[in-house]
Amino acid sequence: MQVPVAKPTTVVDSRGTMCPGPITDLFRAFRNSSIGDVIELWATDPAAKPDVQTWAKRSGNEVLAIIDENGYTKIQVRIVKKGTAR
Amino acid sequence: MEVALEGKKPDSIIREERPLVDKNVTYIENSVDMIDLNQRVVFTADGKKLAYDYIILATGSVPDPDSIAGLRAASLNFHTSTEDSLKIWDALQQFRKGHIVLGIAGVPHKCPPSPNEGTFLLDDYLRKSGKRDDAKITFVTPYPRPYPAEAMSKVVEPLFQKRGIDVVTFFNLESVDPTKKELYSLEGDTLSYDLLIMVPPHRGADVIIKSGLGDKDGWIPTDKYTMNVKGYDNAYAIGDCTDIPVSKTGVTAHLEAKVAANNIISSIENLGQTHKYTGRINCPFEMGSGKAAFVVGSYEKPVKEIHPSRIRHVMKRGFERIYWRSLTGNLDWLLDTYFGATDIVENSKPTVVSSK
Ligand SMILES: Cc1cc2nc3c(=O)[nH]c(=O)nc-3n(C[C@H](O)[C@H](O)[C@H](O)COP(=O)(O)OP(=O)(O)OC[C@H]3O[C@@H](n4cnc5c(N)ncnc54)[C@H](O)[C@@H]3O)c2cc1C
Repeated sequence: MQVPVAKPTTVVDSRGTMCPGPITDLFRAFRNSSIGDVIELWATDPAAKPDVQTWAKRSGNEVLAIIDENGYTKIQVRIVKKGTAR
Repeated sequence: MEVALEGKKPDSIIREERPLVDKNVTYIENSVDMIDLNQRVVFTADGKKLAYDYIILATGSVPDPDSIAGLRAASLNFHTSTEDSLKIWDALQQFRKGHIVLGIAGVPHKCPPSPNEGTFLLDDYLRKSGKRDDAKITFVTPYPRPYPAEAMSKVVEPLFQKRGIDVVTFFNLESVDPTKKELYSLEGDTLSYDLLIMVPPHRGADVIIKSGLGDKDGWIPTDKYTMNVKGYDNAYAIGDCTDIPVSKTGVTAHLEAKVAANNIISSIENLGQTHKYTGRINCPFEMGSGKAAFVVGSYEKPVKEIHPSRIRHVMKRGFERIYWRSLTGNLDWLLDTYFGATDIVENSKPTVVSSK
């Protein structure tokens, strides 16, 4: 188990939602985020962890920590890359 | 969708609302300006004040193409109106060759299968009209896979492959340049198109936002079991307008409506019962070639893999015929039989907890 490495800018509580709930909630937070923000996603759905990891890898963002709490997982993502492909 | 991709006449799917409402209901055709849940009053646009004992909010969701730069100007869609759907049908008649991009511009949106369904029906149309060889189809989605729930994505993915439909995942649309005909994602990717059909992201209704009843996107905080607006014993929210984690579909609105109505009856008659919505979803899913599947699940049971069949397509289209009659509640026995018979997930019948 990892420990939180950063103070989250936004906490997204998706506990109790099933796929695609957590990743949908993460995307909504990502849309409203700024570079340097740390989004902390709370999820009970086991698909959240691999989905967020794959998304972060693809989008060039950074998974800082995955913390197993009692009955749910906290996933911390630092936004280091967002948009402006032009 | 059928107007946009099958050339169905809009008249065939539109009815006047008043005759569809049960005759015991007083139907007031008016726009609501404000809702005050604390004072228990609704203000109409023409200045009337309606007091109530119980209220069920069912203000739906609003597709919002203006929330993404360039989207309204660049993209057609089959979510905003039948007129906009007709524009797709017209564009397809003009289309000769090129790259058609169809997908999800933002989440959430109503009817989760509809972007995939649209893609299957588009492919069908292009094949039937002899234009498929000159068209490239790309399905674009913010999700990790073509259908958000993995079990159904396992069904969709091979079918897309077989039909030669490309898929671009993890594409959260940031903006569109209608002049360059390019899409840009928050992930930093660019995609060019000749014809663009994107499902816009949705938000809550204006009246909910104006009345301060929603979260920042206008969704009403709702108890996912009892359908109560959180913090109010006498207010309920059903259908697309809630923030509960289920698909925004007519079927869920129907099942939630029964829970809310039964809880109001229980409260009025002091029955001491709490009716609970189980999160049952049952989205019909057109998969082209006259075949359809259903997306079935609940809070307790994740979506299962269901493959397309002719009979499910016939069931979906058949339901369209009885839909209007079902709105009065007179066909509930039939719908209840259906939900019982397709109860492939445990615990998906509405539950009742009695405290007496
Ligand atoms: C292309 C497409 C295909 C779909 N296919 C299916 C399907 O096959 N099966 C399925 O189950 N669902 C399907 N859906 C989804 C379904 O249409 C919606 O989920 C459903 O209509 C939601 O019902 P609702 O009552 O919550 O909201 P709505 O049907 O949107 O009704 C909300 C009503 O509130 C009214 N309203 C809002 N604000 C005010 C105000 N201030 N004053 C007065 N009135 C107001 C609106 O005018 C509207 O009439 C589909 C949707 C689309 C776009």
